[in-house]
Amino acid sequence: MSGLLNIIVVGLLLGGIYGLISMGLNLIFGVIRIVNFAHGELVMLGMYGAYMCYFLLGMDPYASLVIVVPAMFVFGVLIQRFVLQPLQGEPMMQIFATFGLLLIFQNAVLAITRGVGYTAPSALSSIVVDVGGIKISLVRLIALVAVSAAALFLSWFVKNTMLGKAVRAVTQDRRAARLMGIHVEWAFMLTFGAGAALAGLAGTLIAPIYTMSPQIGGNFILAAFAVVVLGGLGSVWGAYIGGFLIGVTEAVAGYYLDPSLKTAIWFAIFIGMLIVRPSGLFGVVGAEEIGLREQD
Amino acid sequence: MLARINRRALLATALTGALIAVTPAWSADTFKVGAINPYSGATALYGTEVTRGYELAADALNAKGGLLGKQIEIIRGNATTPQEGIAAIEQLAGRDNVDVFIGTYLSAVSQAASEAALNYNKLYWDTNALAANLTERGLLNFVRSGPYSASFAARSVSFITDLVAGQLGKKPSELKVWIEHEDSIYGTSIAKQQEDELKKAGVQVVGVGAHSYKSIDLTDSVLRAKNAQPDVWLETGYVPDGNLLLRTARDQGFKPAAVFVGTGDTNETLEAMGKDGVEGLYVVSYPRPDISEKFGPGSSAYLAAYKAKYKQEPVAPQSMAAYVGFQMMAEAVAAAGSADPAAVKAVLPKFDKPESSYATGFGVKYDEKAQNTRAFPTVIQWQSGKQVTIYPVAAAGDHKPVMPGK
Repeated sequence: MSGLLNIIVVGLLLGGIYGLISMGLNLIFGVIRIVNFAHGELVMLGMYGAYMCYFLLGMDPYASLVIVVPAMFVFGVLIQRFVLQPLQGEPMMQIFATFGLLLIFQNAVLAITRGVGYTAPSALSSIVVDVGGIKISLVRLIALVAVSAAALFLSWFVKNTMLGKAVRAVTQDRRAARLMGIHVEWAFMLTFGAGAALAGLAGTLIAPIYTMSPQIGGNFILAAFAVVVLGGLGSVWGAYIGGFLIGVTEAVAGYYLDPSLKTAIWFAIFIGMLIVRPSGLFGVVGAEEIGLREQD
Repeated sequence: MLARINRRALLATALTGALIAVTPAWSADTFKVGAINPYSGATALYGTEVTRGYELAADALNAKGGLLGKQIEIIRGNATTPQEGIAAIEQLAGRDNVDVFIGTYLSAVSQAASEAALNYNKLYWDTNALAANLTERGLLNFVRSGPYSASFAARSVSFITDLVAGQLGKKPSELKVWIEHEDSIYGTSIAKQQEDELKKAGVQVVGVGAHSYKSIDLTDSVLRAKNAQPDVWLETGYVPDGNLLLRTARDQGFKPAAVFVGTGDTNETLEAMGKDGVEGLYVVSYPRPDISEKFGPGSSAYLAAYKAKYKQEPVAPQSMAAYVGFQMMAEAVAAAGSADPAAVKAVLPKFDKPESSYATGFGVKYDEKAQNTRAFPTVIQWQSGKQVTIYPVAAAGDHKPVMPGK
């Protein structure tokens, strides 16, 4: 029994990482209606950002959050303004553009690092909390707390602030929102900036767990897409709950069946979900019709 | 007037210059070796490292008059995938008319590139690819001078039965081993050979686990191994998954008496785990330049030449195996009097040198599949943040294995 409990804890902690990575992806999709293929690379840039802060300034990855997250926000705003906004009204082109960004980011980092794997060490990375024989890595626990805080903050923000309400209005009907005097382009820039900042947050928080490589974003993105579709496209809580679902499924399947089968199992669940409930657990019906609905 | 003459003179000079510049590409005064490795992409660091070994061997040979009376020239063919390997062969054979191909950091590239080289009737000399099937194909132009997956498996098993069992005060039949491998052909083939060899030696294999090297979480793999309570945890994989396994094992309190990490012999692992985190870990790897001079005659000279040319310590141990492989290729071509694959293959049976004949401690004796049967890896151990060769005992010199936690 304690074995099963241990595995569920492992799965929940993993779910925290998945949720963290997926939240920004889901935010961008929900509001701007772009499947951001470069999202894994934004996470990767966050990881390297943490490494740069360590290498140049000697900062702990957790301290580097104050630099990396705002920097990624600005970077996201710039991407939206100078890459995606000129392509507004051409959703297919926007998706291709994010794919182009993926290639540029990966290869730029590869050219700079020459493929050497780096680690951003943290004083906290070897601390393990032992709760009744169940071992909980502090770094993963922090990621879990962070994703919960981010989900709470985001849902409060879009419900209770003027800016958040503007973003929701744009999500529901761009044209009407514009008629009400909402600056749609600004709302998009804010959203992409926030999505990139969340990717930066994810990258920084997981930097002490992984050995970085320019391709590491690709390892996360497949799972992130599954999380987003399972939880519900465009829903903040969808990414949060979806992360845990995938995390626990993966841990249980990996431990009790076979680690090499775990991806196949959660993809089977993913496909089943697409058949039974295409909008996901928390999704809005119609949100999956990307590029088909007339917008703007 | 002056201006006109000057212009003519200039034109003439430019033309002559152009002709001179063009000449070397057409002339046959150099012995051209096409080095097929990844020089871009994620594995560029290691592809370049392997080719550095070739360059050092070519420098040494050129200083003594070159090969077949010609100076050796190395031309790089960039190949990160099998398709690029074929393209590189076509370019180097067609455009540059190279005499011999040498490689390869990646087994998949070697497989495709060597077949492409056969179309041009060029020798493909492999110094570093590990996959067993490369020599099993019986390809007419293919020779492998370095160790391969079976030699790696054999070395790890003999180390476990010779030294680890003794250190733990157990008989081989009492030893419990868990084999963990990444699930592509590389990890799977080595794990299979390890399992066979271990069982042959009477060791208990308590489990075999497979994982993807792209996994985000390996706690499940670690807990499965932990439950089996092995004495030895034998892992084969790449750097990112190897590091993640080590971190997860530390977090989960999994501490087997002996831990082998497939690619744990780089600074990337030291950086990830810290000095204490890597203490006592074993890696079965290409012989490093720190092996005793008696075991690897010329290894110190190799290290000195490397440092002089590249102004740094070797990035990875692959380069010394590449260096020795290049020497063996040159010896075979010199003995055959040409680089023709059939002529070279005909002289291979004449080579018979015992182990400890080269800087890596390799000997040379080719089997009927053109695989050198006297090339073996060594075992290193992390001791106080440094990698130290500890096995075979002859290679270790004064170094002794330490038991972690004892």
